[in-house]
Amino acid sequence: MRELYDRYSGIVYSVALRILGDTGTAEDILQDVFIKLWRSPHAFDGNRGSLAGWLAVIARNRAIDHIRQRRPETDVENLVIGIEPDMVQTADWNRALSKIRESLGSMPGIQRSAIEMAFFDGLTHTEIAEKTGERLGTIKTRIRTGLKALRKALTE
Amino acid sequence: MSTHEQFADDLSLYALGVLPDQERLVLEQHLKDCSRCRQELEELRGGMGLLAFSISGAKPPVRARERLMAAIAKEPKTRPGRAVHRTPWWRPLEWAIAASAVVVVFMLASQNGELRRQLASLQFNMAKQQVKLEQAENFVASLTSPEAEHFTLIAAKTPPQPQGKVIYSQQQGTLVLLASNMPELPPEKTYELWLIPKSGAPIPAGLFKPDRHGSAVVAKPPLPTGTEAQTFAITVEPAAGSPAPTSKPIMVGEPG
Repeated sequence: MRELYDRYSGIVYSVALRILGDTGTAEDILQDVFIKLWRSPHAFDGNRGSLAGWLAVIARNRAIDHIRQRRPETDVENLVIGIEPDMVQTADWNRALSKIRESLGSMPGIQRSAIEMAFFDGLTHTEIAEKTGERLGTIKTRIRTGLKALRKALTE
Repeated sequence: MSTHEQFADDLSLYALGVLPDQERLVLEQHLKDCSRCRQELEELRGGMGLLAFSISGAKPPVRARERLMAAIAKEPKTRPGRAVHRTPWWRPLEWAIAASAVVVVFMLASQNGELRRQLASLQFNMAKQQVKLEQAENFVASLTSPEAEHFTLIAAKTPPQPQGKVIYSQQQGTLVLLASNMPELPPEKTYELWLIPKSGAPIPAGLFKPDRHGSAVVAKPPLPTGTEAQTFAITVEPAAGSPAPTSKPIMVGEPG
């Protein structure tokens, strides 16, 4: 567990901190996510995705649950993250990171902000549409194509 | 209409945990049986994971590691049960009671399970009906709105008996096609409706096969909103449909 913590605590903490903006609560989420992994190590299926992605998405969902003050909704047993481990091996981490940032940078600003509002702020498509004055259908499509573009950037 | 396209946008909202409850129930039911949509969901979650990676860099304080290790040390461990010695004369009675209890528990659990299944099924059907009702209301509202355009399709270079009428709302991205007198097709072929935009490639707008009277309806295929239609066309395609027309249109239509 120490090794896993040393390897992945940075990503889990970064996600929680970005969403919550508060170091103390981000630390609580970090604790919560690793305790969950300790209690249910079999919830993560190593054949079906990367542990880093799995932990990052669980941290994101827990942090959004915290903001919305609702009980945890994520069923970790069923959470499969489609990032093959070899996409982001440690040796390739910097290259992967620069591809992800490049893909985000090449997105139209309006699309990037839509997926960031959905992911980091936990806003619904309706809330995003109200904020941006865009149509609901357009927001939905932007979020979907944006998420797919990120993943595609890493497989190319 | 492709079911997968219908659920495509909902999947990303589901992955992000913001899909409203009614739609979520319908989608979860679909996911149980659809490996293609499950795969799409995994890919979208993959995108979420990568988006999370984009902001990595912050380091948790050192005390967080110590706190976690201390918490893990306090986690309960599985303890072996203590052996209990009993006098042997009533052991058979104990077994009989235990066996009866197992039977009763099994019966109760099975009844309980059945009731839960029935309740879940009723809740699911109710939610599905409600979603369908809302969709139908929105559909009718968009097609009866003043901005909805009407298109009449007639056969190209053939006698004018086959006829199709397209009602299309650009703002809502919804349409309905009512076709009549359509010739029967072999099983390996289908008709495909195309939205021909003012600029860009034809957009698939639904597959259909006429009934024995030659009539067919395409209702609310998945379309992007805001696409200005120059015309509509119908081609004959392989049974699974085509992403782009592979044959010349047999019917085309202009607004009016």
